[in-house]
Amino acid sequence: MSGCGAVVGGVSLDNVDITNQAVIQGVISSGNAPASVGYARLLDRNDEFVAEVPISKQGEFRFFTVAGDWTVVALVPGANSRTQVQATIGKILDVDIAVIK
Amino acid sequence: MSNQALVDAEWALAHLDDAKVVFIEVDEDTEAYAGNHIKNAIALNWKTDLQDPVRRDFVNKEQFEALLSAKGVSNDDTVVLYGGNNNWFAAYAYWYFKLYGHGDVRLLDGGRKKWELDGLELVSEVPNRAATKYVAKDQDRSIRAFRDDVLKAIGTQNLVDVRSPDEYAGRLLAPAHLPQEAARIGGHIPTAANIPWSKAANDDGSFKSIDELKALYEGAGVDLNKDTIAYCRIGERSAHSWFVLHELLGVKNVSNYDGSWTEYGSLVGVPVAVGDEPGTA
Repeated sequence: MSGCGAVVGGVSLDNVDITNQAVIQGVISSGNAPASVGYARLLDRNDEFVAEVPISKQGEFRFFTVAGDWTVVALVPGANSRTQVQATIGKILDVDIAVIK
Repeated sequence: MSNQALVDAEWALAHLDDAKVVFIEVDEDTEAYAGNHIKNAIALNWKTDLQDPVRRDFVNKEQFEALLSAKGVSNDDTVVLYGGNNNWFAAYAYWYFKLYGHGDVRLLDGGRKKWELDGLELVSEVPNRAATKYVAKDQDRSIRAFRDDVLKAIGTQNLVDVRSPDEYAGRLLAPAHLPQEAARIGGHIPTAANIPWSKAANDDGSFKSIDELKALYEGAGVDLNKDTIAYCRIGERSAHSWFVLHELLGVKNVSNYDGSWTEYGSLVGVPVAVGDEPGTA
């Protein structure tokens, strides 16, 4: 039984069939460098919380979802920012987010 | 928020060196503790420590006693749980400690996320606690629901599905930070209200006010005078909602169905609803 737990930076793409899901991934940066502490949160088209992962030491995050409009919220100490994205089944969408404090 | 079950950072900072207060990190990322943690905190692994290695079930009373004895936790210690992701897994562990009857257990409001975002100190030193002889009580079945309890509750009690709206409707099979390849049907238990667990938390992971929490449930049409069963995918997010209902709002007769959708959505012959509406009994 796998858990509901969030893996730092997101679950690896190894051994994951991405033909039937949409992947949203990226790097959160702060002050011109990848943020080492923070969280990436995914909201649905109605702004409802869907998932949240701690970012990796390199600021990375990854979500697995379905096609549609999503919002990625980057949370770092002292600041946050929202980025709207459109995901497509079978595609990996790279989203790099710069948070300005 | 003033509640015996919840402590804030100020309280935690004043008790970091109190030998009778045991801070325990239970995180979704089981390696987070190894990186750093709150001073003098120990760790429990939600999977390898708290779940049976073979069956889909919890460790039994004897295993729980052995675990806490080895970790140096005494029956009269105040246990303060914290973790990441709005205390998701820490709330699960809190429910677990209550299930086995621990006397004084609390949750650090906001958990690891708020602690980190507030820039409070995290250390790498691992404390050395002497082994104890912990004695657990029998499981408190009043706070744990099984599938037969859920089937009886359809149309008669409150069923609260605390997953995200897309999981409730059957559009997603798992939270979006996990691959969506799970081989089971999507949907929800008929008549269940969808009140996502995350609505109980502020952005920093702390709990919303009592008035806001009450409005959240009553606004969704949940009659808090009736018995309530909460569920999610594997019973962890619903432990967070159980904490809100039972510990913060003081609602009686609230149980957590830890089999949750991974069990129910694989059962043969049970009713299932799909889409955004609760459906009928």
